[in-house]
Amino acid sequence: MNVSVMQENLARGLSVVSRAVSSRATLPVLANVLLRTQDAGLKLTATNLEIGINCWVPGKVAEEGEITVPAKLLTDLVASLPNQRVDLVLSPKDRTLKVTCAGSKSSIKGIEADEFPVVAAIGDAPATTVDARALREALGEVVFAAASDESRPILTGVLTRLAGNRMTLAAADNYRIAVRHLDLASPVSAEMTIVVPGRSYGELMRILPDGEAPVEITVTPNKSQVLFHAEGIDLVSRLIEGQFPNYEPVIPSSHTSRAIVDREAFLAGARRASIFARDSANIVKIALGGDGEDGQGVSITAHAADIGDNADALEAALEGSPTTIAFNARYLIDVLSNLGAEEAALELSGPLAPGVIRGVGKDDYVHVIMPVRTAS
Amino acid sequence: MRTILHADLDAFYASVEVLDDPRLTGLPVIVGGDPGARGVVSAASYEARRFGVHSAMPLQTARRLCPDGVFLPGRPERYRELSDQVMRIFASFTPQVEPISLDEAFLDVTASAAAFGDGEAIARRIKERVRDEAGLAVSVGVASNKLCAKVASDLRKPDALVVVPVGGEAAFLAPLPIRRLWGVGPAAAEALRDFRVSTIGQLAALPDATLRRRFGKHGIALAERARGVDPSAVVSGSAPKSVGHEHTFEHDVIADATLETTLLDLADSVAGRLRHNHLAARGVQLKLRYEGFDTLTRQQLLPRPTREMRPIYEAAVGLLRRVRTAGRGVRLIGVTAIHLTDAEQLTLFDTGADREARLEATVDVVRERFGHDAITRARLLGDRPRRRFDFGERPAAPPDDEGG
Repeated sequence: MNVSVMQENLARGLSVVSRAVSSRATLPVLANVLLRTQDAGLKLTATNLEIGINCWVPGKVAEEGEITVPAKLLTDLVASLPNQRVDLVLSPKDRTLKVTCAGSKSSIKGIEADEFPVVAAIGDAPATTVDARALREALGEVVFAAASDESRPILTGVLTRLAGNRMTLAAADNYRIAVRHLDLASPVSAEMTIVVPGRSYGELMRILPDGEAPVEITVTPNKSQVLFHAEGIDLVSRLIEGQFPNYEPVIPSSHTSRAIVDREAFLAGARRASIFARDSANIVKIALGGDGEDGQGVSITAHAADIGDNADALEAALEGSPTTIAFNARYLIDVLSNLGAEEAALELSGPLAPGVIRGVGKDDYVHVIMPVRTAS
Repeated sequence: MRTILHADLDAFYASVEVLDDPRLTGLPVIVGGDPGARGVVSAASYEARRFGVHSAMPLQTARRLCPDGVFLPGRPERYRELSDQVMRIFASFTPQVEPISLDEAFLDVTASAAAFGDGEAIARRIKERVRDEAGLAVSVGVASNKLCAKVASDLRKPDALVVVPVGGEAAFLAPLPIRRLWGVGPAAAEALRDFRVSTIGQLAALPDATLRRRFGKHGIALAERARGVDPSAVVSGSAPKSVGHEHTFEHDVIADATLETTLLDLADSVAGRLRHNHLAARGVQLKLRYEGFDTLTRQQLLPRPTREMRPIYEAAVGLLRRVRTAGRGVRLIGVTAIHLTDAEQLTLFDTGADREARLEATVDVVRERFGHDAITRARLLGDRPRRRFDFGERPAAPPDDEGG
């Protein structure tokens, strides 16, 4: 192998694939990145067996070849090099990669490429295409709601339904749920529902291109893996088997109280209250109308027996009857910090009914938070 | 109509000493430091009281009255430990417990009747549990108010159960000496003697005007009390800060399986108490005492507040596996739920955890009705450790079974 690439491109490519590198690899080769000449450039691949990422780096290939080298070592080395041409030359007999850039020469001992697990290149035609920016925004409003603990593995995934012209993403951790719809660039021929690990989507958000660009989505026929392909980048993820809970019935179809609040102000209030809620199970109380000076507005309060308390009054447009509810502050902060809208609508039906948060003027998103029952 | 209990541990400090050292059974035990030094009697066993020793008496006097008495310095930490355990038993019958001191408390059990029966039934169960679990005798008075309950519990100590019938408060108090009444100290008793009042009934019969002239407003309140009227409420303190159970093995244990099964049993009890008190734990603490008595505690936060056995058990087992020195015999193991909260996070879906919660709620109902052993986890059958709490050896008979 003898290939030349620009340092900047190589560094970016390594940073893209590095998140798929296994940090606590049981197989030593999983701590490595696979370098393979392909399509007049260098293809970088890393995998932790849950996800695999390919990133293609443009370059000049003098001699084809492939090798794996420790990902962290190569990434750190390349990050330290000047933005000039980097020559990567493999000496096959001792499996050593020589990295030369400006006056710097390094040798890195590698492991044979054929010891590296195959990251499936899914051959089938893509099921559909979606815009990268739209997908990234949609994922941002959903992925955080997926469960992080493994007690119920299906909830660590994001339900992904492709039907007609529409993609639906839903994530829940049993205390909250986020559901987002977005348009597909091309309709799917057959309806399809898969559950993608939230972590995989987290990585996808990180590596998707910033601007408008098509992202092809392909699912293996046995529904074991999904491939997202954007220009120069593939992300392959395993899928979670099992039945995602039927979430539609738990999304309230009506409410008795509604408040429209500036999202930033609501978020700031929730953050302040959460400081005081730390020692009391992170519970913040929200009152719609009633207690305020003019019976209008929304208040957020938190109380910690040994510490003190905090109250924020927010301007709000209210409809319906005054009510109160208590939430875990984290859930409130999560949705308010990820919601892509200027104003948030909070829809309630009493202290013990699920609370709904939507973006005002945004009918593609709904977020439900289950309240906390408090003694007082 | 309220149902109030006053529960008072009999000769508490002295009883604890007898409990922990059965050789003292039947001996006059006097707690209160070295008798050569200055100081007063903190507690005297009923055997010691027969010599005329009573609490607050100078130790030197006690020594003179009871030269063969067993004088002990007292172990406040141990008393507090047992007191906490007894208070937790009280709290398992009602959240409205007002501790007065380490060894006595008022309980308002008005709202507990549906679950546990009437005041007398609750008093019997409390006495049983305090005896079985703490190895101590407690005297309980049952009445419609605090005043009568307190007088009742004191009337036939030790190990008494005295019920004041509703409507019979005044009649109950009437024959008793006025010094039994709250607010009647030596001075008031002396003053009342001028009116030829020596019993509570005589006090109740005095005209209000007379009392007001002699004692002012205080006199009216006194007469009210003498008629058995006391509207004061049971003021429960703050919610418990932790809920724990521990188990002392008869022989030091090395086998993981035994330790883990015991933890399951303890977690089951802790979770049951959490549910009963409508609390959830945000952390779990493991206590381990090795042979040779060095004790360690380790704690861990839980991802979610819980009142179910499984997360508590899993956290405790995780701690055990991390901290335990393999091969060392374990003498005592305990599980405590910490960082308690009364808030309950509601859930979206019917999950395994919810099914677990329903299962445990059902278990609670069955146990409520048929007793703790009526239903248990299959894993706890057979080698379920016999519950014997952490008191060293327990005397065969209760320490205070004689009058005093």
